[in-house]
Amino acid sequence: MEFTLLGAAAIAAGAAYLMLWWEAKHGNAARCTGNLWEIGVVSAVSGIFIGRIVAMLVDGTNPIAHPADIILVRSGVSTAGASIGAAIVFLWQARKEPIYAADGLSAAALAGLAGWSAGCLVRGTCLGTASDLPWAISQAGSTVTRHPVGIYAAVMFGVAAVAIAWWKAYRRPRAGVPASVAVVAAAAIRLVTEPFQPSLSGGPLWFYGAALAVGIAGAIWFGVLAPRRAE
Amino acid sequence: MWGGQLAAPHLLRRTDLHDLASTLSLVSRLVVIALVFAVIAAGCSSASPVEGVEPPTPITSDEMQTLLQESTEPIVLNVWASWCTPCRSEAPLLSKAASQFKDDVRFVGLDVRDTPNGAAAFIAEFFPDAPIEHYADPSGAIPTDLGGNRGVPLTFFYRPGGELSYLHFGVIDERTLVLQIDELVNG
Repeated sequence: MEFTLLGAAAIAAGAAYLMLWWEAKHGNAARCTGNLWEIGVVSAVSGIFIGRIVAMLVDGTNPIAHPADIILVRSGVSTAGASIGAAIVFLWQARKEPIYAADGLSAAALAGLAGWSAGCLVRGTCLGTASDLPWAISQAGSTVTRHPVGIYAAVMFGVAAVAIAWWKAYRRPRAGVPASVAVVAAAAIRLVTEPFQPSLSGGPLWFYGAALAVGIAGAIWFGVLAPRRAE
Repeated sequence: MWGGQLAAPHLLRRTDLHDLASTLSLVSRLVVIALVFAVIAAGCSSASPVEGVEPPTPITSDEMQTLLQESTEPIVLNVWASWCTPCRSEAPLLSKAASQFKDDVRFVGLDVRDTPNGAAAFIAEFFPDAPIEHYADPSGAIPTDLGGNRGVPLTFFYRPGGELSYLHFGVIDERTLVLQIDELVNG
């Protein structure tokens, strides 16, 4: 049995926790009273299993007849199903203050995605499409050099996470804007890196495009159009 | 209501009875959601075997070695069994990959320590139209002879002529499968 997925998940969770810890020390602009760590972990885990069930349905496998398959997330998780499922669970948990909670988790979620991407070093899945660029690398015994696309994603998610955390701590953006910008960043990074990933279908670009549009719309609404909330 | 800046995560609000009730409520709702998904799935599933599917052809270790060495195409050799839950889990991915790369790579399935009826039902459920040659190894010795172990699933990637390019233990994911096929085709 392999435990590399658990290793990658542990790196992701650690990165998200460290970001929440740093933000708490430096002032998390979200002012959310909920327990962000618990909300984030429950949302993420729920999203993974919902995404797995959606992937099974798409593949024509019956989750009732084969419930053990649900935990075999390595076989495939629907990105759209997981993201929407996690968002629904998040909204349920943070229903009293969803915008502040989303802002509070925005940098930590990106840090978690950075950690998950960096987990490719544990999983051995950093390599992407072939490339002749100077920093391209090859797997042992191969002559084909490739984009280290997992590292690209980790670096971009990490930079975005730090930028949003710094912005929240020292610039105090309007409520809802950090979460919207985080959605924009996550979708844009996925759109940029997905073409370099080895994939049968080319990845769910439609979903990343839709998420990008939703994020931009949210940023415009919360940043420009929405009335300011009383502090 | 808005309680100022956050404390460190480990100092955040402790779970009290109200939180416990809230968490249990959330869990119960998650269970309901999962059941709804499962009921929908029951209507969408196509688990009934297709009639007329032949069980895999028995093969010996020497015959398998010959098949690998004489192949002019790269081979993806997947070791599976109908009783193996992880094999069931990865089968849809292998079926899709076999159809997509059928012009570049030869897909071979090796059913180990299985019954003919179980194997036929598995093929009918997951590989009814997939371009995969299936063989049976009732003793389960061939994967070990090829450098693997007795666990399933296993996926071997062979260059033309039978040189092993990569061996994956356990359930294979899409990225690894496509990457290793690309290594076989372009490496």
